[in-house]
Amino acid sequence: MSPTEARLARLRGRTPPRRHDARTVAALTVNPACARRALMDAAGVDKQQLAAHTGYPAPFGQSQFAITRGNAFEAQVKDNGAAQLLTLLREILGLDITEAHYTDLNEVGGNQDSELRHVYTKQRLTAAVMGTGTMFDHPLLRLDVAGRYAYLEPDLIAFRHRGTFHIVEIKSFAIVDEQADPAKVAATAVQSAVYVLALRDLLGREDAVHHETILVCPKDFSNHPVVAKVDVRRQLGVLRRQLTRIERIDELLALHSDELTFDLDPGEDQRPRRPPEELANAVRTVNASYTPECLSACELCYLCRDEAQGTSGALGKMVRADLGGIEFTRQALDLARGASPGPDREEVAGLLVEAARLRQEILGET
Amino acid sequence: MADLIQTLERRIDRLRVAVREAVLAGDGTRAKTLRAELREADQAWEAALAEAELNRTEPPGLSRESQVGPDAGDGSSTQSSLLPLREQVYEALSLLQVPAAPRLIATVHEAFFATAFSTTRVTSLRRDEERSFRAAPFTRPYYICSALIADFLSPARALLAVSTWPMESRVIGSLSPRVDFLTAAIRVAEAVERIPGPMPAARRLLWRFAASIPGAAHSSGDVHPPTIRSAAEAELTVHADADSRTRREAAERARRQLSDVEQLFGIRLKPAGRAAGAVDGDA
Repeated sequence: MSPTEARLARLRGRTPPRRHDARTVAALTVNPACARRALMDAAGVDKQQLAAHTGYPAPFGQSQFAITRGNAFEAQVKDNGAAQLLTLLREILGLDITEAHYTDLNEVGGNQDSELRHVYTKQRLTAAVMGTGTMFDHPLLRLDVAGRYAYLEPDLIAFRHRGTFHIVEIKSFAIVDEQADPAKVAATAVQSAVYVLALRDLLGREDAVHHETILVCPKDFSNHPVVAKVDVRRQLGVLRRQLTRIERIDELLALHSDELTFDLDPGEDQRPRRPPEELANAVRTVNASYTPECLSACELCYLCRDEAQGTSGALGKMVRADLGGIEFTRQALDLARGASPGPDREEVAGLLVEAARLRQEILGET
Repeated sequence: MADLIQTLERRIDRLRVAVREAVLAGDGTRAKTLRAELREADQAWEAALAEAELNRTEPPGLSRESQVGPDAGDGSSTQSSLLPLREQVYEALSLLQVPAAPRLIATVHEAFFATAFSTTRVTSLRRDEERSFRAAPFTRPYYICSALIADFLSPARALLAVSTWPMESRVIGSLSPRVDFLTAAIRVAEAVERIPGPMPAARRLLWRFAASIPGAAHSSGDVHPPTIRSAAEAELTVHADADSRTRREAAERARRQLSDVEQLFGIRLKPAGRAAGAVDGDA
């Protein structure tokens, strides 16, 4: 075990590590400046459990109903050698009739070991370029995130002979009247971009994987699947930039004490026994960068929001940028009411006073 | 066996009385359920009788090759259950003639034999069959076994087959899922043609096949078995050669390398060295 791995293991404590998946990698791009998140994700800390134990249970997580529905829909389109999906792919990709191969990469010879599956995926996908292979069910890709590998499992990869690979995502939210929930499509696009990046990484060629990914959803209020192409070029750009910006984990570790740990001290029954206050203090030693977007992406959001109360960042990136350099809302309000600004804050103070005057005028409070 | 037949006869008598009472009481729903049960009991009675007849003419323990039709191979289940699950699965697989997933097996059985069963029970069936085979090989006329992945000769996830089928149709190459899908479509179309009278469930099933075959159907009401059959056959000719090459090669390898039990239930890749902790299936 390398020193970095040892330190990360110590950070995580005795709970088994949680791996990155496309969802968490996508979430990383929401707030790459957050050291707290980067450190915990690199160490594979179970943030959900940690948040609950410190008294800030996370407001989200997929409902069991949604998961079951998603799995059932995916199974339906993949049933019988992905018969339904093949029909759709023939339409949208113009697959030749001979291109009907289906390769199950969920396991290798009855073995589900990640390493093995990844190697086999690589072997089959490289072979596809020369010879046979059309649909690859649940290939196992990996992506280097903050110096550690995250294993990623796209729903399906489709390959058109003499063409390129396409990432296929099967989602259970409906496309009604050719419209889908923009937030969900956006989230899927980022996830698909993560897969595109990982697949390009695996094949070692940029042009081997198409930037148009394929989204399969139920049509209207039925179970009948439809496909749509989603261009992820923009998401790819963002992702690549954010991944390089995520600070290298070693540099981040160097800033913190060797003694730091987020161990939950699980008892016999796997319930955390560590005093919540002590755990919360450990969490607070690592800087977070809370923004309102965290509420839909990070399990620790309530803890960080509570901590960030009164700071300008808690009101969002826009407000923080507008208030340039003023850390707390209290200070901003004081300046607006005419408190004397420091030497480097005269400009922003002037703006705030002006803004306060305008507000009073509009509200008729003069 | 005689016990089973008598039990069934008593059950049929009881059900007849119950159906009469329900009809006279004007309880349509109950009458319908009871009638279905009565039909099942009748079928089971026929099956049990056929089995008894077979046992008279043939000593038990001999493997009967590719036998089709109702058959009660499991001599041990002498009471309570009407048709044992394995026989229902066998009926459906015999109709399809290709390896199939539990969901398809259950749908086919429901469409053509009017009884449904839960797919989760089908999944555990394979394990029971393997256990039974390991304990006493070749004592049953057939076993519900796994289809094997051509590359590793490991059991294909959730694909069931019948042990009496030739190895070539029990191994799965990368084109086989499509070939088997098309073959199943042809078999279902033939079965629909064979059976007189409208069978809504069977036609619905056929429509689902047709929707995924180019040129097989044009609108949702349009289920024309001969068209579906010829469309499926047309696509099949495109894949057949390549697929049978892969399957022949894999089948030869399987016959050469695998033991009896492995030929039916496959082998599993063991995690090598450090890669411990991997899931090693249920074999």
